[in-house]
Amino acid sequence: MTTSAERDRRVLDLHDRLLEIEQRLIPTGLHVFGRPSVGSERADMLRMVSSFDRPEANSRALPDLIAEGLGFGSLASNQRARAISEEELRQREQVAAILTTAMQTFMAGGVDAAATQLKDIASVNPEDSRPTFLLLDRISRELETNVEIEALLRALCGEYIQPGPGADIVQNPAILPTGRNTHAINPYAVPSEVAFAKAEVVAKRLLERYQSEHGRYPHAMALVLWGLDNIKTQGEGVAQALWLLGVRPVRDGLNRVTQVTAIPLAELKRPRVDVVMTVSGIFRDLFSPTVELLDKAVRLVAQLEEPAELNYVRRNVMEQIQSTSCDFDEAAIRVFSNAPGNYGTNVNFMVMDSQWESEETLGDLFVTRKCFAYGRDSRGRQIEGREARVAMDRALARVEATYQNIDTFEIGITDVDHYFEYLGGISKAVEKRARARPAIYLSDTLSRDAQIRTLEETVQLETRAKTLNPKWYEGMLKHGFRGVAEIENHVSNTFGWSATADAVDDWVYTEVAKTFLLDEEMLQRLSNLNPHSAHSLVNRLLEAHGRGYWDVDSNTVARLRDIISDLEDQLEGVA
Amino acid sequence: MKVTVFYIGSSLLAPLKSAEREINREYGLDLSIAAHNFGASLTEDEWIDVAQDLGGSDIVFVIHVMDGENAARLLTELKRHQARHRAVIVINCMPDLMRRTRMGKLDLARLLGVASSSEQISRKSVKTQNERSRAKGSLNVLRMVGSWVGTQAQAFRSKNGNNHTRYLKLADHLPGVLRFVPGAGALRDVKNYLSIFCYFLQPTPANVQAMILCALKNYVPDERLKPVHVPPPEKMPSVAIYHPDAPRMFESFEAYSKWYAQRARKTRAPRAVSPEQGGHIGPPLHPETTIGLLLMRPQVISKATKHYDHLIRSIEAEGLSVIPVLATLMDNREACEKYFLDQGPKSPTNFSLSLQAKNHPGRASDKLKLVGHGSRISQLVSLTGFSFVGGPAMNDSEAAAEFLTTLNRPYRSAISLDMQTIESWNTSRTGLNPVQAGMQIAIPEIDGATEPFVYGGLPANGVEPVALEDRCQRFARRLRRWNRLSTAPRASLKLALVLYCFPPNKGNIGTAADLDVFPSVWDTLVKLQAEGYVLDLPDSPEQLRELMLGGNSEKFGSTVNVVHRLKVDDYRRLCPYVDEVEKDWGSAPGRINTFAGDLLIHGVTLGNIFIGVQPSFGYEGDPMRLMMARSGTPHHGFMAFYAFMEKVFSADAVIHVGTHGAMEFMPGKQVGLSGECWPDRLIGELPNLYIYSVNNPSEGSIAKRRSYAELISYLTPPIENAGLYKDLATLKDLVMAYRQATADAERERLFDSIEICSRELNFNDAVL
Repeated sequence: MTTSAERDRRVLDLHDRLLEIEQRLIPTGLHVFGRPSVGSERADMLRMVSSFDRPEANSRALPDLIAEGLGFGSLASNQRARAISEEELRQREQVAAILTTAMQTFMAGGVDAAATQLKDIASVNPEDSRPTFLLLDRISRELETNVEIEALLRALCGEYIQPGPGADIVQNPAILPTGRNTHAINPYAVPSEVAFAKAEVVAKRLLERYQSEHGRYPHAMALVLWGLDNIKTQGEGVAQALWLLGVRPVRDGLNRVTQVTAIPLAELKRPRVDVVMTVSGIFRDLFSPTVELLDKAVRLVAQLEEPAELNYVRRNVMEQIQSTSCDFDEAAIRVFSNAPGNYGTNVNFMVMDSQWESEETLGDLFVTRKCFAYGRDSRGRQIEGREARVAMDRALARVEATYQNIDTFEIGITDVDHYFEYLGGISKAVEKRARARPAIYLSDTLSRDAQIRTLEETVQLETRAKTLNPKWYEGMLKHGFRGVAEIENHVSNTFGWSATADAVDDWVYTEVAKTFLLDEEMLQRLSNLNPHSAHSLVNRLLEAHGRGYWDVDSNTVARLRDIISDLEDQLEGVA
Repeated sequence: MKVTVFYIGSSLLAPLKSAEREINREYGLDLSIAAHNFGASLTEDEWIDVAQDLGGSDIVFVIHVMDGENAARLLTELKRHQARHRAVIVINCMPDLMRRTRMGKLDLARLLGVASSSEQISRKSVKTQNERSRAKGSLNVLRMVGSWVGTQAQAFRSKNGNNHTRYLKLADHLPGVLRFVPGAGALRDVKNYLSIFCYFLQPTPANVQAMILCALKNYVPDERLKPVHVPPPEKMPSVAIYHPDAPRMFESFEAYSKWYAQRARKTRAPRAVSPEQGGHIGPPLHPETTIGLLLMRPQVISKATKHYDHLIRSIEAEGLSVIPVLATLMDNREACEKYFLDQGPKSPTNFSLSLQAKNHPGRASDKLKLVGHGSRISQLVSLTGFSFVGGPAMNDSEAAAEFLTTLNRPYRSAISLDMQTIESWNTSRTGLNPVQAGMQIAIPEIDGATEPFVYGGLPANGVEPVALEDRCQRFARRLRRWNRLSTAPRASLKLALVLYCFPPNKGNIGTAADLDVFPSVWDTLVKLQAEGYVLDLPDSPEQLRELMLGGNSEKFGSTVNVVHRLKVDDYRRLCPYVDEVEKDWGSAPGRINTFAGDLLIHGVTLGNIFIGVQPSFGYEGDPMRLMMARSGTPHHGFMAFYAFMEKVFSADAVIHVGTHGAMEFMPGKQVGLSGECWPDRLIGELPNLYIYSVNNPSEGSIAKRRSYAELISYLTPPIENAGLYKDLATLKDLVMAYRQATADAERERLFDSIEICSRELNFNDAVL
């Protein structure tokens, strides 16, 4: 018999999970080059923009201002959400309700009306809230017009196209106006001081999460580092790796990060974790000094005279030198990428084209493509992508958890095939080499409360918030032909997580089938709009069943086979 | 006698070597000068050489060392050998190094650490009020000079970098100031430092020689140095126009223009390139056919200009005029304003453009042309390798973009290998070393620079940079193509739009992150037509898609309509790399995108617009190829597609539509490509515009660097809260009801419902 307190806890947990889905920002359609966005579609995005402090615009997060105005103190945003009490939850809801009202007022009446209202209902000084509303107002106005096609025409006429940063609009409203020549960042600026500070929290939670599930810290982790998030966050992913190793970036007289220094164990208060870093070919190119920095960090930590139980890097390096009588340079390789001038793991191509027989092949392919070492050896000579398959096999054999930082909701783990080719690919490679499936984590750092989730949780969240959500798929289907292809791609990318990490529950495929294929009306729509992609979608589900990722009754399978043959008839008819 | 010089870049080595030769010839000093380029991190073996040279040196120069790691190591080495050194002269380095300066009694560490000069000059050492104020002045100058780099870095940090122009002025004023500083007494070493700095600012071969002599004479006690005369610094203009064929530099545009016109009349050489191809359409230095170049001042002053000279001639060989301008290290705006902007009242050209704009008010091209109406150039090419505003220590990209917006001409930044040798670049599979990639690629990109072409560099056993001739020609031709694109009547231009289809099946035509490609293309076609481009506009985006998916695709069993069958013989003629492709893919045409022995080009032609579908990597049904650690060359179909656009369809520009394709990821160097790299070969001479998602700066940068693309960013789709739907919404209602309910029985009943509902929704695993 469940006690009443236990029931309350469970319900609050569930409430939290529902809220997580409900509030998740999702794209609701596709962009058409040159067309401005529609005003009504902006409210949720602007609300999200208003939820962060923005020192560059001198503006503060509205939820904090409201909570302070109501006398709630800090909103406990850094507290684990699932441990909050009913009372705290009610306070949060009150803040959220007031923010909703204020945003409605802003959309209808503008800056002053909204600032005045916040003063009236939440005692927020208009001087404090105005900068935020002014920022929202600027974003709103910039979204009213779109000069992308004009920019293209101007470029064709030999005019200067202004540079602009690249990011999500919530992350960095300075991406507006679009129609500019997007640039990356100075690699020597990475990681920024802000990124390093934020990464401390994420690294801590990551280790706590592992500890709560396994009773101790992981001895070795494998990290995936991309250019994408590290450009947009000025190196949060890089900083997380440095924190796990327990080192701090050091800036030179020109304010460039060129060195690292060890954080003393007394200050770190935990062991240094061994970290295998697989960097994308793009990261390797855009952040070549950073690649050297990461390699330098590993070498530094491996040489610290510290107890083995507090320095897993040193322990592993020393063990390897003893057991294989290799030299330090060989034992300390931790930064891997593609062969020079090559990109990608090809795992995605293999999965998309169904060219594999055993899952092991996918992990092996990952290692084949990514086993090239980068950095500088003890003689200071540059290691320009030396094939180091044995070193990578050994390093991965120690790994207990894999991880990738996600800074955005715009590019989610089932939106593109690159997440499963990397995080899935490396997890599969670890599984064979360590003879155990690693714990697989992702962070979600673009929220007020940076979260660590397991891969399984993230797949479920993405499925519920996007793939199965009418708001998402109807948004896509507004775009007709292309919308069907987007739905099919999502399902195929989800399937990629089955193939590489067995991280997709049966119900996900069952619900996909129910939503898109077993519903006659929906099937008809998809078949009319884009029979080619509808055909691919059914094929992919049958593949999931055929490969044992989807346990489903034979009637459903039979029905799917019927659908396939109908679609083939239709395609032959139209072709 | 030995001098060791640590420096960065490619301009100093030749003058140093010639100084060594000349000094020995003239004074028989038995002098040896060792030089170390600190542009990249050194290996242990190189450090051994450094230590050896430092151990035997009388004088050490440290110039422009900015790399934190090298600086830290050098500091240790300097300390180790300090007893041996008569003087250590540090110029324009980071603060820690500056403080290592050792010249007689000069204590730069102390000077840079204190707030004002007065405490440095005791009343005893300086007699009159007048002298004291002069002394103060020179110390202030020294402090400014000594803390230059540190101040720049700080200014960048505080976003308040307005003092770059002061550097420019120093070159002009410093000799004047120095004339009044006594060469003996307390200020002797201050004066020596500043004198050396004067030579350094104007590194002509004679000044570099004088710089060495000045240091030797003042700090090395050797009888042979007594008779040495150190000449005063040669003065060079701080900004000027340079041309390899001109007898002198020009300080005014008018003087240059006059000389240029005379030279054109004299040579009367038939133009290599016809106006139709973007060559000369008017008199020399016509703004529509003139390329503005920014050259590094030290290179020109020290006559290390072979690479510049060849590039300039390559550009002129394409029928274009040039205005090569000496850029200053810190801020290029003054030079650009002086030489590239026509400051005068409205010129006839401007007038006619305004008239045009009135006649066609709807045309963006005409309207917007007016913004840059005062420009004397059609494109701006920086050869400095630094940020446009800020120099090596910082970059004020906002100021740069603001100025370049006014100039409103494309901004290119080409690269000379100054921190690595041509040979090391040639053999490297990565291309530029990390320092060069960071400084010469990443930072200019923030200013909006495009076309990161490697055009020259230091040969391994040479002392000055030379041109990479094939690269200069390719770059010059690309500039000429861009010129034609920007100036030819719109009706005469042909554009190729490239779409993607991944994974390759009909359902995926128009693959692009977050972009609905067909409406995007169709809207673009509408506007292109309004601008005067000649095209057959389909009725709707859907019709355009049907044109591509339907057509003759069934006949060829292909995904997309076949617009052209390229005969293998023609393919071999148009694509000079077939032999290499055949090593990887077998003899042409191969099996991908082929039919009856021909290569198929997928797409449609609508008047002067070609819309094609980029072939895939060619991995489909070929797992062995997927399993290779190193990717092979592009396949014949891929090569044929790009050869078709450039040489059969004769496109004036290619526009890649959406994030992202495969071309820029083809094998080759990572950054700083050579003619051996596949993306470089594929894009050829075609100007490349790339419609790219604004939230993907990382893959976008690969396209910029490896396929010379200029990105045009597009917005991501609207984002909204996911909300709850169907049974999820019901479950939330139940949870809310539970939280509201007070009676135990009610809560128990609701809890049961919640359990059932959440299990149905598959929440059973983690929570309940």
